[in-house]
Amino acid sequence: MSIYTLGIDIGSTASKCVILADGKDIVSKSLIAVGAGTSGPQRAIAQVLEEAGMTKEDMSYVLATGYGRNSLESVANHQMSELSCHAKGATFLFPDVHTVIDIGGQDVKILQIENGVMTNFVMNDKCAAGTGRFLDVMARVLEVKVEDLGALSAQSTKDVAISSTCTVFAESEVISQLAQETDKCDIIKGIHRSVASRVVGLAHRVGIRDLVVMTGGVAQNVGIVQALEEELGHTVHTSPLTQYNGALGAALFAYQKYLKEQKA
Amino acid sequence: MSTEVLLNEFKEVSEHPHVVLSEYKKQGKKVIGVLPYYAPVELVVAAGMVPMGIWGSNNKTISMAKEYCATFYCTIAQLALEMLLDGTMDQLDGIITPTICDTLRPMSQNFRVAMKDKLPCIFLAHPQHRKPAFGLQFTVDQYTHVKNELEKIAGTTITDEALREAIKVMNRSRAARREFVKLAGQHPDAVSAVNRSAVLRAAWFMEPVPFAEKLEALNAELKALPECKWTGKKIVTSGIICDNPKLLQIFDDNKIAIAADDVAQESRAIRVDAAETGDPMMALAQQFADQDYEVLLYDEHSNQNRRGEYVANLVKNSGAQGLVLFMQQFCDPEEMEYPYLKKALDNAGVPHIKLGVDQQMRDFGQASTAIQAFADVL
Repeated sequence: MSIYTLGIDIGSTASKCVILADGKDIVSKSLIAVGAGTSGPQRAIAQVLEEAGMTKEDMSYVLATGYGRNSLESVANHQMSELSCHAKGATFLFPDVHTVIDIGGQDVKILQIENGVMTNFVMNDKCAAGTGRFLDVMARVLEVKVEDLGALSAQSTKDVAISSTCTVFAESEVISQLAQETDKCDIIKGIHRSVASRVVGLAHRVGIRDLVVMTGGVAQNVGIVQALEEELGHTVHTSPLTQYNGALGAALFAYQKYLKEQKA
Repeated sequence: MSTEVLLNEFKEVSEHPHVVLSEYKKQGKKVIGVLPYYAPVELVVAAGMVPMGIWGSNNKTISMAKEYCATFYCTIAQLALEMLLDGTMDQLDGIITPTICDTLRPMSQNFRVAMKDKLPCIFLAHPQHRKPAFGLQFTVDQYTHVKNELEKIAGTTITDEALREAIKVMNRSRAARREFVKLAGQHPDAVSAVNRSAVLRAAWFMEPVPFAEKLEALNAELKALPECKWTGKKIVTSGIICDNPKLLQIFDDNKIAIAADDVAQESRAIRVDAAETGDPMMALAQQFADQDYEVLLYDEHSNQNRRGEYVANLVKNSGAQGLVLFMQQFCDPEEMEYPYLKKALDNAGVPHIKLGVDQQMRDFGQASTAIQAFADVL
């Protein structure tokens, strides 16, 4: 009989769940586009169980991660930081990974990984520049959907420089560019380069080694991935499961913890 | 008294310094506010007054001080001014304003203007070249100015004998704190990170003799404890200040003990004692000259990165596995020094994380994630 574990990643902007069988096969996954402090976590849990045709009681171990991990004490057996879970998930998806870039809703994290174990990391300071929130703000100013940013930036024909220092300053720069009737696609590419510049500056603090993997929802934006590759001079790998990476890592840790508890 | 009772007493003082201040005033004592860093509190004690440290606040919001300061100003200094303006420290009889960093130097003038007719503000400029004879003499001259001003407030003369006695008292307090730091690192099961900070913070608010007596009693209790088999992690903290209980609770929640510290409000303030014999004013000047491995003070051998090496060795020698640096927002000296500290730590193989903090922070979610992940790395 299989052992099922549930990983729950409650981020600042989305709630994600993954159910694993025997620590290797994904049984089901869910994503609700609201995170900590909302109905998102409970809805994501209900959805992932429903999709798997299971109940909470079928789960041998539940592990919570992400910004809202401490709010799930009644559901989860254990909680861990999302950095450790992202390292775990990325190693599962890309066994040769040495660097993970995770751009979340309000954090940027760069993880250094050796033999599947996180050995060093760096996070952004308390500032929204370079984060998913930065892209949300810019998309709103440009009156485009955040999920369309990648495709739009691919249509750019001209370089436009946008500040990488501050979300507020960058927003006023974008408004200024719009007032000058600069093409939106060019502005979006400039925004992507701005994010990439900020993230790469941070990444150099821990060092960059292949394989470089990008996780988190922002990894779905091909414009950001391309800008990062140009800034880094390394290929940046992504997975269709990128948004679920933290929850996947949590489910993997849950499996390990379950086995350890069984032995004890 | 038990360890728990003593720790709670220190905690009470640490959390309610305004109550302590009111109590001193009820007793008819004069109280002098002492701003960071390295003010010769011995002079206050020798004048028969009570020194109370002013290290900002974790509970107040900057409002009135904004009239005097740009936004990008150290919150410790801004909150000190806020408390002077909002009446929190109305009962003080004077303040000493050292000017060691680029923030405190102009801030001393803001204090003076803001407190014009309300409170005597005693200006103190430490010399950059503190070790040569001329530097020592400069310090003596500055301390003499402070002494004269304190005498006016106290209405008494500070004798050499009284100053030597005050030096003995403060040496005793510093020795007790050094011992406590060591014992707290050895017994994290008995002294949480939150309580450790409360004890060291209380030293800035309590009269030195009762403080030393109480801390010596606590140290005796800790010494009598059996050896602690700590299953968590141990780290060293570094930075200007790290006294927010909510932030420190994250360490306790993740079983991370503080083995030692390189924090300006804690161990950096108690590393060096003053000579108890000879000319007491020169003894205090020499004490300041002997301060070392300090980011806030000039180091003629800075190209050797001695401080970085010192901090790396502090981590290794204290049995810690890593270092957590609390970087005060807009603290120029700490931010300027960071690349050198990082280099020394990297060279020594000491893992570290840097957390940006200020005293206006109320949410520590990001810090919690980083600290928990750091424990995983260690």
